[in-house]
Amino acid sequence: MRKHLIPFLAGLALLAACDPKTEETPVPVTPPTYGVYILSEGQFGVGDGAVSVFNKSNKALTPDAFGSANNGAKLGDVVQSMGVQDGRGYIVVNASNKIEVVNLTDFKSVATISGLTQPRYFTSTSGTRGYVTEWRGPYTSYLPGVLSILNLTTNTVTSRVTVGRNPEKLLALGGKIYVPNSLDNTISVIDEATGTLASTITVADGPSSLVADKDGNVWALCSGFVSYLSVPPYTLTRISNGTLVRFNPGSPTTQLKLAFPGTASPGKLRVNAAKDQLYYSFGGAEYQISTAATALPTAPFIRRSFTGFDIDPRDNSIFAAVSPSYNSNGRFIRYQATGAPIDSFEVKVGPNGFVFY
Amino acid sequence: MLCLLAGTAHAQTAPPDSARLGQRRHRLGEVQVRAVGPERFAVGSTRLELDSATLSQYRGGNLADVLQARTPLALKYYGPGQLATIALRGTSAQHTAVLWNGLNIMLPTLGQNDFSLLTVGASTSVAIQPGPAAALYGSGAVGGAVLLNSAPDWRPGLRGSVQADAGSFGLAGGSLAATRTATPSVAVRVAASYREAQNNYTYTLQEARGPVRYTLQNAALRHQWSLSPDVAWRIGQAGELTAAAWLTDVDREIQSGVNIVGTQARERDQSRRLVLGYRHVGARQQWTVRGAWFEDILNYRDGGAPSNSRVRTTQAQAEHTSALGARGSLRLGAEAQHFAARVDGYGSTEISENRAAAFALLRYDPRPVLRLSANLRQAALPAGLAPLTPTLGLEWDLLAAPDSAAAQALTFKASAARSYRAPTLNERYWRPGGNPDLRPELGIGYEGGLRHRRAWSRRLALESELTAFRQDVDDWVQWLPSASTGIWSPRNLRRVRSQGVEASTALRLRQGRYDGRVQVAYHYTDTRKTQGSAADSDPVGVQLAYVPLHQASLSTDQHWRGWLLSTTLAFTSFRYINASGTDFLPGTGLLGATLGRTVQGPANTSVLLLLQATNLLNQSYFSYPGRPAPPRAISASVRLNWR
Repeated sequence: MRKHLIPFLAGLALLAACDPKTEETPVPVTPPTYGVYILSEGQFGVGDGAVSVFNKSNKALTPDAFGSANNGAKLGDVVQSMGVQDGRGYIVVNASNKIEVVNLTDFKSVATISGLTQPRYFTSTSGTRGYVTEWRGPYTSYLPGVLSILNLTTNTVTSRVTVGRNPEKLLALGGKIYVPNSLDNTISVIDEATGTLASTITVADGPSSLVADKDGNVWALCSGFVSYLSVPPYTLTRISNGTLVRFNPGSPTTQLKLAFPGTASPGKLRVNAAKDQLYYSFGGAEYQISTAATALPTAPFIRRSFTGFDIDPRDNSIFAAVSPSYNSNGRFIRYQATGAPIDSFEVKVGPNGFVFY
Repeated sequence: MLCLLAGTAHAQTAPPDSARLGQRRHRLGEVQVRAVGPERFAVGSTRLELDSATLSQYRGGNLADVLQARTPLALKYYGPGQLATIALRGTSAQHTAVLWNGLNIMLPTLGQNDFSLLTVGASTSVAIQPGPAAALYGSGAVGGAVLLNSAPDWRPGLRGSVQADAGSFGLAGGSLAATRTATPSVAVRVAASYREAQNNYTYTLQEARGPVRYTLQNAALRHQWSLSPDVAWRIGQAGELTAAAWLTDVDREIQSGVNIVGTQARERDQSRRLVLGYRHVGARQQWTVRGAWFEDILNYRDGGAPSNSRVRTTQAQAEHTSALGARGSLRLGAEAQHFAARVDGYGSTEISENRAAAFALLRYDPRPVLRLSANLRQAALPAGLAPLTPTLGLEWDLLAAPDSAAAQALTFKASAARSYRAPTLNERYWRPGGNPDLRPELGIGYEGGLRHRRAWSRRLALESELTAFRQDVDDWVQWLPSASTGIWSPRNLRRVRSQGVEASTALRLRQGRYDGRVQVAYHYTDTRKTQGSAADSDPVGVQLAYVPLHQASLSTDQHWRGWLLSTTLAFTSFRYINASGTDFLPGTGLLGATLGRTVQGPANTSVLLLLQATNLLNQSYFSYPGRPAPPRAISASVRLNWR
């Protein structure tokens, strides 16, 4: 018996040792003209959120750029969004309550901005000034959120401005920061110079994303409210329909409002490089609308449901993310500007957005 | 685990005199009440039994602790005191039926058991039967069944023990077990335990700036109570009335993953289980009736709204077993269950559901060396009839019968079975998303193997078992978000195949006052989705998440005079953490040990000192992504026994 034990033990040790190979390859340096960053939320609680780097020139994909460049470190739980300023990426990690700051040339960590709560979206106006929206309160009773003003030199929070409930994808335009409050019907406008609340614009229920067009107008996509009971059984009831709102910052009360039918909630407003075409998702499809339009389109641009969608400003090619389940890896699909598919690539679980740099 | 081979050999050997219905004997003065357990009809199946000596070492702990320490079974484990579910033969947590005194105690809402809530001391025997066995154990016995039983001790007089435990990371607890035969016809047993733990151990995370040390937050076991009294009352020459209860109450913090900052989740789990049974055992027939009432409460809350649930299960069982000539026995039975659920997720009204089943179990031994069984169960569910689930089993002694005095015995065993899992209450009634049209899952499995025993003398024997299995689960249920509404809903989406090998061998040596045993066990489990519907995007052909391909254990148990030393070295190969087969938890090799010393005291008392260590090699690993496992942990127990 003893004689057989040693080879058995050796065999057992091998079992434990024979893990699949992990990719510890360094992140290839992507020329700024070709870099696409794909954000994957990850499985909730697992801490496997990731940013994948895709090189458009040679189609090379690094699935977890942060881990590969930083000794296998985990980015965190629920990678929500990412902003870019002066060659640095600011990755907002929602459930980990932080922003990871990385150097985009090699994806090495530069700093971690902590002291945040439920951070959502980042934007910046200079190499020293950044902004991040944060939610406040538990999911059953959200409180007015904040816009945190960041010092990007020290990577700390300098001050906070209270905005509306669940502030989302903000917009910096003409010395002002526009913050859509997605659980209210308002946009909070913060003056960049003073760092204080300048005004509040009433739009429609559920503004969640903002873009600026070529004429300097602001477009706010308001998702409308589907009230689900905040306690089980979470019954869904539509309170208000979605609305696409346009206004000029000079006269914000004069608004063009395009109303959606109540069959679904629109989301994810995007704009092309020329800033004359808008894109949004509605009812399991992606739509395109000209900034000169006065009515919503009826035919979809791409009839497919995406968890992320964006237009590469360098060539107007389209990147769309698919998350079939949060139990398996997602994909992103590339489309020509016309909406014709090109190819697709596997990324980590739950891709939700793209950054082009 | 160590008594696996002995257990199987005894449990599944036909008594030479088949007119004798069973093997379990309760000696009571001049009278013997022999009851036939369901295992008599599980011919050809594998059975792992945790003997009382093993259970005794872990009696302050929970079933997840003991299974992880002593068996090569796969558990999905979120950390000490946290959710722990079993994956028998590669199947999911809902595919293992857990029975307590013959009654299914799977949580009706979730259709699974948290093995951290099942205290070891409450049961006097724990057995695991891998493989489909729905004909015997009903819904959920797709990957296998875990059988917990409590029985009073009929030896005359009062005997019992009290124990105090203390250990690393704020572990403190105590337990009590006592049995008493008050009169020759009444036996009483009481077991109780308490445990708490801070689980505030440190762990290291690899961060961009290098390894950083943290202390685990919000992972305390605030309290875990268990109380289980049993009474058995012998009536006349052939009757026995039994009443048993099992009350548990657990308050724990829920560790939500180390990358999530600042959560304060808490969960309260309370179960009250009562069963009343009457058994009549005649010379050639026996019958049993049982009624049970369970109440399971699971209240969860974090920073937001609480999510509360309470399910009351009322059930009744009746069965009749008769001898068929000198060589067989036939059991016919029926059962009915009524669930009444008040669950926040189902809305404000109480949901009720009824299920019923009838079964026929046949055991026939044409010759003493050839044993056969054929079982059948048909269940009726609210949405219609469940699949008919037959089982066929065979055991054939190729060499001498295992329990004969022969130096060598070899038995061939084989079985084939269909099994099913009824949709859970959550799958049917959760709002939004519950799917009342969900079909039961259907399992079909086959296994075959050999059991071997070689004895060189009365003191030295080697027992081995080798089993190969293959099983498919069809209509496997998966929750997926709807493409249009985003609402998650369960659907019958896929077919999963699991195949593998289970091998174990144990050498036992008894020499003078030394009694030692060495056992090695190895499990190979290959489980993959083989086909799925269009809506099911998970890839085909990838090893399922959290099912390790290889598991192995080497355990030793040694007794010498008053000393006891047990060690277990358990290896688990890597496990994927999602369906894509790219990200994984690395393989682990963990060493645990128990050292014990019994000192005799005056007046039939004795004191046992137990020192137990887990993760002795101090491996740093994750038991689940985001859940760091404890480093080396030590616990000490003092037990005072009297008889």
